[in-house]
Amino acid sequence: MRATHPTRRDVLAGASAALAVPAIAKADTAGDAIRPLNLIARPQAVDPAQYQAAQLVMQQWRKLGLKINLQVMPPTQQSTAVWMNRTKWDMTTWEMVGRPERSDPDELTYSLFHSSLAPHGYDFVGYINPEYDHLAEAQRAELDRDKRVALVKQAQMVIKRDQPYVYLVYPRRSMAFNTDVWDPATVSEEAGIGIRNFWTFLQAKPLSTQKDMILNATQATQTLNPVHMDPIGSWVTDMIWDHLVRVDIHGNPINWAASSLTWLDPTTLEVVLRDGMKFHDGTPVTAEDVQYSFEMPQTPGKAPQFFPNVVNIDKVTIVDPKTLRFALKAPQSSFLTSTLSKIAIIPKHVWQPIMQSLAGTTQTAEDYVEEKRIGSGPFRFVHWHDPEEIMLERNPDHWAPPLLERWILRTVSNQEATLGMLRNGEINFLAIFTGDPQNVADLAKQQSNIKVVTTTDLGFQYIAWNLRRPPFDDAGFRRALSMAISRKLMVAAAWNGFAEPAGSCVSTALPFWHENDSLLEGGDLSKAKQMLAKAGYVLAGGELHYPAGKREEITSG
Amino acid sequence: MTGRALLHRLGQMLFVLWVVTTLLFFLFRLMPGSPLAAYIDTSMTPEQQAILMHQFGLDRPLHEQYVLYLVNLLHGSLGYSFIYKEPVGSLLLAALPNTLLLTLSSLLIAYAFGILAGAFLAARRGTWIEAVSLPFVLASRALPEFWLGMVLLAIFSFAFGWFPAGGATSPGASFPNAWARFTSVDFLHHLVLPALTLAIFLQGLPLLLMRSNMLEVMQEEFVVMSRIKGLSEWTIIIRHAARNALLPVATALALGIGSSIGGNVVVESVFSWPGLGRRLVEAVSASDYPLAQGAFLMIATAQVVMNCVADLVYATLDPRVGQR
Repeated sequence: MRATHPTRRDVLAGASAALAVPAIAKADTAGDAIRPLNLIARPQAVDPAQYQAAQLVMQQWRKLGLKINLQVMPPTQQSTAVWMNRTKWDMTTWEMVGRPERSDPDELTYSLFHSSLAPHGYDFVGYINPEYDHLAEAQRAELDRDKRVALVKQAQMVIKRDQPYVYLVYPRRSMAFNTDVWDPATVSEEAGIGIRNFWTFLQAKPLSTQKDMILNATQATQTLNPVHMDPIGSWVTDMIWDHLVRVDIHGNPINWAASSLTWLDPTTLEVVLRDGMKFHDGTPVTAEDVQYSFEMPQTPGKAPQFFPNVVNIDKVTIVDPKTLRFALKAPQSSFLTSTLSKIAIIPKHVWQPIMQSLAGTTQTAEDYVEEKRIGSGPFRFVHWHDPEEIMLERNPDHWAPPLLERWILRTVSNQEATLGMLRNGEINFLAIFTGDPQNVADLAKQQSNIKVVTTTDLGFQYIAWNLRRPPFDDAGFRRALSMAISRKLMVAAAWNGFAEPAGSCVSTALPFWHENDSLLEGGDLSKAKQMLAKAGYVLAGGELHYPAGKREEITSG
Repeated sequence: MTGRALLHRLGQMLFVLWVVTTLLFFLFRLMPGSPLAAYIDTSMTPEQQAILMHQFGLDRPLHEQYVLYLVNLLHGSLGYSFIYKEPVGSLLLAALPNTLLLTLSSLLIAYAFGILAGAFLAARRGTWIEAVSLPFVLASRALPEFWLGMVLLAIFSFAFGWFPAGGATSPGASFPNAWARFTSVDFLHHLVLPALTLAIFLQGLPLLLMRSNMLEVMQEEFVVMSRIKGLSEWTIIIRHAARNALLPVATALALGIGSSIGGNVVVESVFSWPGLGRRLVEAVSASDYPLAQGAFLMIATAQVVMNCVADLVYATLDPRVGQR
């Protein structure tokens, strides 16, 4: 097979000489033709924008002489293919979703590209760069905010240079509410998250006799458990169980159940608890409860999801009934956001017996389904009529009680009907909308009592390529391909204008941390061709070839 | 049907169910995609993946998993759902009543209407009534359910505001027990539009079946004989012809009930009905093997049982079947 290649290539090279990029070396000095590359994408019905983006990307890259096959897979199959067989894929569409704790850049900056996470962790593209590792570690340990900002921005520029991803966009998401029911001045927009957030639920002021907030969710909630994250359930658990710290609408950690936080040294944090806090069963929140809340997820194998958030905690000691000390194994700048705002304060008298009953079984704390859900948050659990609705009510005993009476989350699978329901009052808060955002914008134009708020997401959409596999192991090749993609076109044609061009894992929703120069606008095909030529790639016979001497070692499948 | 024949029939049923169980077990495990995909998170380490695999029992050899599944099944346990962390049985039971009430009420409407209208249309063969109504019936059978549902929503919910657009009860509604819930005005009010959509979709089959059977039966000698006896046309149609034409419709109804257990994904999605159909889709797309297996097994059981019931009903309605 391979022996026949040069001859065929020589023949084709002559024929395509006119088409070839100027200043390209002669085809006979080129390496093998690059194999057809596979791009994995989710079905159009699952994510129309992402699918459209994949089509646009393929169109551009084909113009560079690449052969690209689209492999459409349902989400779980895609995750399995990319995640569990790390050497077997070429490219895939991917997204990182925005969560409040990601408003600290540490999680994404560190986890996505640190080489230690390449074999099994989140660095699934296999990016390995000691220079980057150093920056990621340095920002994690840097407690001086300004110095840390500089490090985070520097890391973004390294990524721009190396292009381990083709960043596409930060999506803009629309949420809406009825202004006859909720006072618009009390509905707050959280940076990168939108108006569906804790602060809105806490502060929204009812204007009429309707004091219930009725919201929609697109899918049924799977779990309501303080040590388990669920795409929808986390909206609920966040309100039932309180945290020492919460992330404010600007993305900064602020004291919540903690009345003060003091770093005694880079690895010791002293926490003083707020006075008069009570669990929903009437028992007071004690230092023992708080200590237990951070120790329980450390139980090996019992809280897999939250274990990484407490792994850096060496010890939690009680100084006096109101004061605790966290001793960390290493300095961690994101500790307040990634750990204190994330770990739920759970009652020890409820969970200790549960954990005892689980000891020695394969069941984890994540799996435990409580009958009563006892937290100390501003909302109390009322009922969960699975799969129809979840209902909470205001906790009048909380030190910051909400203004609304009941918070009712309805599962509404029909997206188009959601908008009709918002109009006729069946729901009064559109918490999520996965259809065309233009429809929401249009609704607000027709109905003066519907207010839409569109927010740039903390998450981002991108094409990931497998850096373990040539030609993606070559940064020059990646830069050229990335240059061919116009981010503006992506925003306009794939996301219908509801997105912003993306260039780094730190969204523009976080202007404090975002490096503006990280954006590669792209869309310059001739420049992309020049870059390929400069890196030694040769276009011959309409096919892109590796630089001289390089063999294709992977058979495409 | 004799006692022995009945036992034979039951044995067949059990065999079919065992085959279905086995097929389901392996089918879902051959499906691409791992249940762990739902757990991918920036912080997930290989150790945590291993914990999950162990906890799901997926670290054991396939044949062991299979034997364990069968043993649990014989003990009446369908296992624990990977994503909901709850027993599959109770998850299915939470959604089943909603689904049954929706599908059975629409089947009832569809078959009552279909049988009567079918008999009527057969009697009006060749008239303008037939010319006008048949295309409508055919069209209603061909209409996509989601489209029909959206049209009904647009008219009766969004334009007139007569009916709610989604769910089975009003937000925040609470009932002392399931019976109070299902008999409440609130529930029935929510039931109208989805049941109507499904009924319009379903009525075509019994109607057309009834009509063509009637046309056939009306040609038979006993009908001619009745005419000679001088019975009125309606007596002949209702008392003599319709009873004979009902047989295939009864079979269709029994099978219809069987398949209704699986719910109706389309209607449930359009009306955000908290039923089994959507739960099934979620289970399959998340590779939640126990939940998907349990749901499909339940559907298969309902089908097989109703098939058997159809045979028995047939024997009762048509004595000739039982004699053979």
